[in-house]
Parts: sequence; C-alpha cells; structure tokens
Amino acid sequence: MQFNKNDDGTYELDVTGYVCPHPQLYTLKCMEKLQDGMIMDVLIDNPSSVESVTQACTGKGYEILEKTNPKAGVTALKIQK
Amino acid sequence: MAEATQNSRNKIYALGIVGFLLILSVLYYMSAPVYLYIVAYMWFGFIYGILQQYGRFCFASAFRDLIMVKVTRMFVGIMIGLITLSVINAFVVTIYPDKYIIESIGFHGLLGGLLFGFGMVFAGGCATGSLYKTGEGNMISLTVLLSLSFSQAIFAATALDWFTAHFITGHTLNDITVTKLIFGGVGNPTAKYSFFQHLLGDSIINTFLVGLILLIAVYFIVVRKPFLKRRAKQMAAVAGTTADAATADGGTVKTGFKDELAGFWSMISASRRTSIAAILIGIVAAAQIFTLAWMQNHYNFTNFGQVLAGKPAVGRPLPSGSPVAAKTPASWPKDQATFPQVSKNNTVFDPGYWYITTQEAMFAGWTLQSAGLHMDHNSYFGQSNGLPNPWMSPALLLSVGLILGASFKALLAREFKWKFPKNKEMVIYAVGGGTLMGIGARVGLGCNIGAFYGPAAFGNPSGWVFAIGLGLGAYLSAKIINYFANRRLAADDMDFDIKL
Repeated sequence: MQFNKNDDGTYELDVTGYVCPHPQLYTLKCMEKLQDGMIMDVLIDNPSSVESVTQACTGKGYEILEKTNPKAGVTALKIQK
Repeated sequence: MAEATQNSRNKIYALGIVGFLLILSVLYYMSAPVYLYIVAYMWFGFIYGILQQYGRFCFASAFRDLIMVKVTRMFVGIMIGLITLSVINAFVVTIYPDKYIIESIGFHGLLGGLLFGFGMVFAGGCATGSLYKTGEGNMISLTVLLSLSFSQAIFAATALDWFTAHFITGHTLNDITVTKLIFGGVGNPTAKYSFFQHLLGDSIINTFLVGLILLIAVYFIVVRKPFLKRRAKQMAAVAGTTADAATADGGTVKTGFKDELAGFWSMISASRRTSIAAILIGIVAAAQIFTLAWMQNHYNFTNFGQVLAGKPAVGRPLPSGSPVAAKTPASWPKDQATFPQVSKNNTVFDPGYWYITTQEAMFAGWTLQSAGLHMDHNSYFGQSNGLPNPWMSPALLLSVGLILGASFKALLAREFKWKFPKNKEMVIYAVGGGTLMGIGARVGLGCNIGAFYGPAAFGNPSGWVFAIGLGLGAYLSAKIINYFANRRLAADDMDFDIKL
C-alpha cells in the first residue's frame, strides 16, 4: 500500500493487491485527511471496492472527476474532496 | 495496440469458457440423459456468476460496507433480490408443494450466523461472494474458499454430531412459516396452500414487510442525516441564502416529507447495477427451483442420490413404455449404480435451489477421504449428503459454473486479474475468516444463501434469525478491522497527518 504526495499538491493512493474491505476503508480514511477541494488519485484492482468507493464518495459529497481503466483489472479513480 | 490485443485475447478466453462448458454438457448427456440435471445446476451457476460479478453481489459487503463506510447499495440489493425471489417462489411452491422448504428455528441459527458473519468480514467476502471473486482471478478468495471447505468437512466429521445432539435436536421450533402461522398447518408437513396464501404469508409479511422495516431503519441510521444536509445546502443555494446558514432541522431552509422520500429513493437507486443484478438473481433463483423440480419429475427421482445408487425412490413408478425387466428408467446410467453406497439414505446433497457451502464441504470431505481419512462415519456425510466424486455432485457443479460465469463476465469487462496474496496479513485474514465461515455454516445449517437468503425468501423466520447473527458478527469484526486500520495509519511508515 502506497500513499504519496505529488509535486503538484495532489495525492496518490495505491491499494492494489488488497481485497475487501481494505481498499474502500483506506481510500475513505485518506480522503478524510485531505482538505476540501484537494484531489487524490486511487488505484484499485478489486472491482467490488470500486463500486463501494463510488457510492461512499457520493454519500460524502466528494466528486469523482475521472474513472479510467489503465490496465486490465485495475481501476484508477480521481477523487476531489 | 497492446490494449486491443489484450481485449481480443480476453474475448477468446471468455468464449473458451463457454466452449468448455458446452463440451462438458454434451459429455454429461452422452454418459446418460439424466445427467442433464447436473448440467442444469452448472449453467444456473454460470448465470449466477455473471450476475454476481456484474452487480458485485456479496453479502459480506452488505453488512460490512454499511457499518464501515456507510455504503448501502449491497444491503438494498439483497432486500430487492429477496423480495423478487419470494414473490416468484410463491408461484413455484404452489405448483410444487413438496419444494416448500421449511428450516428449523433455533439458537444454532443465531450462533452460526454470528460465526459466519464474523468470519466473512475478515475473509473479505461471503461464501458465494468468494466464488465469484475467485472467478475474477482473485487467489485470496480461493484461499477463503479452500479454508471454508476444509473447515466445514473437518468440523462435520468430528464435532457436528455432538453439536447437533446437544444444541439442535429437541431445541428447535420446527415446521414454522408465516403462512402456516396465519392459515394453520404448523406441525403438518403436507399442508398445502394457495398462491395468495403463500404470497401474503411468505412474500408480503415475511419478506417484504421485514425488508421494508430494515430498509427504513438503514435510511434513518445511515442515509438520512447526510442526505438532508446536502439537500438543504442545495436548496439554500437555489434560494440564494448561504449554505452555512442552511441545516436540515432549522436555519433558513426546512426540509419536508417530500425530501425524506427523495432520500429514501436515492438510497434505493444508488447503485443501478447492484439493483438490476439483485432482481435478475431473484428471478434466476426461482427459475432454478422450478427447472430442477420439473427435471426431477421428468427423470423419475426425488434426490439425485437415487440415480447414483441406481435405486428409484419407493413408490415411484418407472415411465410408461419401460422394458418389463428394467429396474431404472432408460435415461439413467446403463451400469445402474454409479455409487451403490452413496449414503445410508441413498441421497446426496441436492437442494434443488441456490446453495453454496455444503457441496464445498463434500468436495473437501471427498478429498480427505481419498487421502485415506474416514470422513463418512458421521450423519452429515454418511447419512444424507454422501461423498460422491466431485463431478457427480450436482451442487458442486453449480459452484464451478459460478466461478466460470464470473470469469467470463470479468474477462469481457476487462476486470479479470490474477491476484495472489501480497503479504501474510491477507493470508491470515483469508484462512481465519474462511475457517470461521466454514464452522458457522455447519453450526447454522447453511451459509448466507442456504441459511439466510433462501429461507428469508421462502417465508421462514429462521432466515432472519441467521441474519441477526450475521449482522452482529459482521459488526464485531468490522470494529476490529477498523481498529487495526487506524493503528496502521498512525504508524510511522503510513503517517497520514499531512502537513499542508
């Protein structure tokens, strides 16, 4: 699991390799640490976690700016708090 | 270019899976037409796999995500699926009254649910969820499945008879459904009811009303406050007041009953794919009960074990036109008995509906028996479920079909990925969680499907008893995982107290 701050002020979380509930749990805990308006890129390779993260973000008022599939089985989410 | 190659390769693999299952189907049919029964189980499993993968349908998620990350989609999905299945099932059991499944109510359900619920959150998936995730290439889920299978088999061979004698036999309420309570017939297993009686008792009261109460409770506990807060802010923005001045319960903007309804609907419609999958799974589950009941009638048996033992059920005449010397229908295997001693009752596990864990216990039991251990000196394997070869275990082919159905769908959706445990932590969670689920499934006489989803949809209060245990168990383990996650985040190497 990797959590990094990029030079442009955005954050990156890589939770590939983990299964439920860890990807959604760590994604949301990390988002809680950010300030409003900040952006985090998350990499997840557990499809059901993507579904849960998506709904959790909607519930919390976070915006999913982008959802891509960089390689088979991996989803990248760009989330803005 | 590489992506296009990967996509076409995925399509070829997906087609290969369908081709493999078609060839298997033909081979079964060529061995004996009655084996189409096994084939039917397999293809129903395939459809469940596709739908589960599409809807990310997992019971662990329903309880765990609700508790840990306030995500309601899967809990809602399960309730929608339950209601759909219960309505169609009211038709099915009116046509086939002997398929009216009635589970006993007792402490075992609560305890089994508790152990199972506790285990499934650690394992990262329920029994059926771990099957579809294995199909996505997730070897952590396969570890869960193997742990679940072997812990069941070992528990069944060593402690289950003792547990049954002390905590189940004589300690349960039997033959109770809501329909029976309303219209009479408790204690009369052959009592028959009309479609509307089943609909009222089993579907409307036992499933729909209970489901609705639970959904309303979830709305009030989890969804209502943040939804109304967002709503009030939006309304304030429209009205031109400041968002900060708007609150749900006071301030410049008031929300009303219409907004409550909008909030409830937002919860129901939050994940379209989960809800669509839930409705389709309910329909397929009912179609499976109907199809298998029809096939049993058509092929002259009441349990597939009779086919394996070459002994038709007592009082079951052979089809008209059978040769005088014939002992079994012509559609059965020609060598008469594939497994003469399949079990003492001449039965194998053949539930006739969506079921997950017992067939996996049988697979593990068969494996251990093949390795030289005595696994059939107990009532679970020896008396009724048997230890047939895996390819002659109808329900096991459902599990195989489910895995492959999920692989098929995941490949086409570019979601298939081989995933092996990266660290010890994942292995401990998988083995520990799977083992607890296995013991819970045997104690509770079923898993999240066989002891909860099925019974709750068939008018059995026992399903809800298991669900209470599931919820409690899931709550406890969610709290433990959350504690470890917080500790980890506070550790030096994962410091999230970011200085901005």
